Amino acid sequence: MERTTELAPNEVISRFDNGELENALSYHELNAMINLWNAEGKMQLEKDKMAVHKYFLDHVNLNTVFFHSLRERLDYLVEHEYYEPEILAKYSFEFLEKINDFAYSKKFRFETFLGAFKFYTSYTLKTFDGTRYLERFEDRVVMVAIALADGDETFAIHLVEEMISGRFQPATPTFLNCGKKQRGELVSCFLLRIEDNMESISRSINSSLQLSKRGGGVALSLSNIRESGAPIKKIEGQSSGIIPVMKLLEDSFSYANQLGARQGAGAVYLNAHHPDILKFLDTKRENADEKIRIKSLSIGVVVPDITLELARENEDMYLFSPYDVENVYGIPFGDISVTEKYQEMVDDPRIKKTKIKARVLFERIAELQFESGYPYIMYEDTVNNANPIKGRINMSNLCSEILQVNTPTTYNEDLSYNVIGKDISCNLGSLNIAKAMDGGNLADTVETSIRALTAVSEMSDIQSVRSIADGNARTHAIGLGQMNLHGYLAREHIHYGSEVALDFTNIYFYTVVYHAIRASNLLATEKKSSFDGFEDSKYASGEFFNKYTDQVWAPKTEKTADLFKKAGIAIPTQDDWKKLAKLVMKNGMYNQNLQAVPPTGSISYINNSTSSIHPVASKIEIRKEGKLGRVYYPAPYLSDETNEYYEDAYEIGPDKIIDTYAEATQHVDQGLSLTLFFKDTATTRDVNRAQIYAWRKGIKTIYYIRIRQLALAGTEVDACVSCML
Amino acid sequence: MNTKLAITRPVNWNKIEDPIDLDVWNRLTSNFWLPEKVPLSNDIQSWETLKRNEKLLTMRVFTGLTLLDTIQGTVGAAALLPDAITPHEEAVITNIAFMESVHAKSYSSVFSTLCSTDDIEQAFRWSEENPYLQKKADIVLGYYRGDDPLKRKVASTLLESFLFYSGFYLPMYWSSRAKLTNTADLIRLIIRDEAIHGYYIGYKFQQSFNLESAERKQEIKSYAYELLLELYENEVKYTADLYDELGLTSDVKKFLHYNANKALMNLGFEALFPKDDCDVNPAILSALSPNADENHDFFSGSGSSYVMGKHESTTDDDWDF
Repeated sequence: MERTTELAPNEVISRFDNGELENALSYHELNAMINLWNAEGKMQLEKDKMAVHKYFLDHVNLNTVFFHSLRERLDYLVEHEYYEPEILAKYSFEFLEKINDFAYSKKFRFETFLGAFKFYTSYTLKTFDGTRYLERFEDRVVMVAIALADGDETFAIHLVEEMISGRFQPATPTFLNCGKKQRGELVSCFLLRIEDNMESISRSINSSLQLSKRGGGVALSLSNIRESGAPIKKIEGQSSGIIPVMKLLEDSFSYANQLGARQGAGAVYLNAHHPDILKFLDTKRENADEKIRIKSLSIGVVVPDITLELARENEDMYLFSPYDVENVYGIPFGDISVTEKYQEMVDDPRIKKTKIKARVLFERIAELQFESGYPYIMYEDTVNNANPIKGRINMSNLCSEILQVNTPTTYNEDLSYNVIGKDISCNLGSLNIAKAMDGGNLADTVETSIRALTAVSEMSDIQSVRSIADGNARTHAIGLGQMNLHGYLAREHIHYGSEVALDFTNIYFYTVVYHAIRASNLLATEKKSSFDGFEDSKYASGEFFNKYTDQVWAPKTEKTADLFKKAGIAIPTQDDWKKLAKLVMKNGMYNQNLQAVPPTGSISYINNSTSSIHPVASKIEIRKEGKLGRVYYPAPYLSDETNEYYEDAYEIGPDKIIDTYAEATQHVDQGLSLTLFFKDTATTRDVNRAQIYAWRKGIKTIYYIRIRQLALAGTEVDACVSCML
Repeated sequence: MNTKLAITRPVNWNKIEDPIDLDVWNRLTSNFWLPEKVPLSNDIQSWETLKRNEKLLTMRVFTGLTLLDTIQGTVGAAALLPDAITPHEEAVITNIAFMESVHAKSYSSVFSTLCSTDDIEQAFRWSEENPYLQKKADIVLGYYRGDDPLKRKVASTLLESFLFYSGFYLPMYWSSRAKLTNTADLIRLIIRDEAIHGYYIGYKFQQSFNLESAERKQEIKSYAYELLLELYENEVKYTADLYDELGLTSDVKKFLHYNANKALMNLGFEALFPKDDCDVNPAILSALSPNADENHDFFSGSGSSYVMGKHESTTDDDWDF
């Protein structure tokens, strides 16, 4: 087995004598064969290459609209309202030809069937009846580049270079929508506060519908809403709490989807000390009553340090009525640090409280994670201690990697805005670590990516939710992510979670954060503008930079030092940081937030990457999605040589994953989606231990818990690779 | 009826006579699920993309499966109870019987989510009138009512490991083409259960079978093959009746061969169909794996891999920080 990166699909086929087989089987069947052993008990990875080839021959080529020239193509697409003419109008036709030729000269090829299938199913431009394709991968890349570059030819070429080489991959909404006339928004992700009044609740549902319709997922904080049984207009026992709000939201998300391209998706977060916390968790119970059962809405729990400390002492934890807390302190419950005010609130007779065993809460969380994968966890104090921006972070998003401050919105009686607060949107894009290292110019790759993400922020103005539009205009918050860590490590013959792997992760993220801040500083200098609130940030005070200027960050292992040297990538020195700190304090930063590491589902398949920075779920991943069905995805660079470095996430276990994320977390201003993987022999105690370990290591959020159950001996399917790997 | 029930023993789970009982019990209980967990309504859009005859086929296949699960839940598993060797086996069988009823109800969830009442009633009427489906039910019911415990187990294993699969083929086929993927999730949960049921009943069959005389063994074995062939002959016609219109019959037949061999294997007998007749469409075979290892996308479905957690309290040491 060897890497066939450079081969075009029609070249690949000549290497198989088995043309007969290919004729007999469909691309789906060929793809499924990589999940089955051949007669000699070997993996059949070459079948996936055959599937790609067959997919193009039997499906893509037959269903792609043919144009004689670029001119004809662009004219047609503009005339029929597929492309936005304003975007094309910013460039000369000569340049469009040049950038088009440049993209095609790179000879891009899909490495896996899933990559190609995903691209053509979900991303490429199709005729309005959905039957024929109007773009190839190169066309999509060019369209994204010229849309984001906004007339800047050099930047557009740079962007094509970074995207077609696979180094930078914009998130789905950006990559999917750029340049299309009929499209959703370019931003993936929104976070909304809900305040404890009916105006805010109903406005949130409206906003959820609007945002869901435009793409991406919406997360909402329920922590401020009064508990069930709380008084309304001082009459006790009136409120029905948060569950009915969850129901309304769930139905809203099911209704709105982005032109059918993406299922509407939502998440809700609740503070662990909210009185409805156990009810909130029980909505995900296997045997929950239909009236309270929540199927498709994701849930997350905000856990302050005090909760863990109470659990350590095996004490009761008090739950506080948000209604009373807001009355006493004059600010919403979600904006209170429960850790800081815990004793004070316990002692205050004006605040109604109930109690549960702290350990019972954690055990309940773990039980539910077994049953449903939920809830996510956000360690509130860890998040706020690491936050360089003034204000409080009280929630995360649908993928638990966005962590930004927000402020409340208030409404007049007629539901118009009184004070427009700050809600959160975040546009994302990820680097492919292997390709970024191979590129040898991490400084440029990061800078181009930061500029691209900033362009998305500047092009976004979601007027239907003013708090989002204002928040974006004031912060220009973006999230640069990373993927293919495991792929890179395996290719370089390094075990995930080993000393070298942790060292590499640390130095890589250390280098990225330097260039991300440098790029944002350049933007502030060019635009003569910083994000709103820069003066109050730890960037402006210089405090943020202390951890980089007070100590030396350098590779601890020879192997890591070699990898950077071999790639020709310089590791920033203490001096570099001192200079950068001065520049930032003088000229500011354009983006309030810079990094967030998302789970990268779809885009990592197109990009031939392993997801995010966690280990592969399986060497041959069985991927199932609504639009794709069941498809099989081989790990990138998988071969006889790299095989042993592809231990899967269940084998690797939670500790090494947490160690890896801890190395990265210290250099990321927002969060990282951290999925934990357990075998079905694990108990709730193992899950709790991992949560405690993660908190101790400074992990900010935990995303899904995934459980793998193997077939009972004697019931497996013969020759099934995924049963045995 | 067996005389063993004359002495009723309380089931003592602290004294396990056959460790397989405990293994299977643990597996079955941790696999517990209800159809409400699967967001079937996400399939409505996809359902609307099916052609009229594809919808009809799907509904018919599901009424067929409903019928089999009804038999297994109400008569089949119950018929095995008197033959139980250990009290734990009785417990496992009652669990099997209950889950079969859950399965039967699941199909109704699919119907009520995707189809109109008229369509549902028509499909059920079809199932009552289809000669092959009725014959299939008659054959199995006949053997359940027979008085030979070993033969009853053979019939049950063939039902669990063989007869369901002409129906299971279709949702797997749809899912490999990105249709009705949530329904496929639900079916995969059922397959996950049926795989264990077939394995367990087959295993219990082997326990009793091995104690028999050579002559009796021969009798039972011939009986098993005869019954399989009788069912197979009917199954082929049933398959053709359903799948001819979509041109899938030959593919489904291979799948039948594969599962017939699997059923025989569960009974401890040699395969009947040569390997070449069993080269099941790889997309179906791969989709069949009862491993819960799918990396599903949480936003479009709930997946079929979550299990009931084993509860274990943390100790003070765990909280030592």
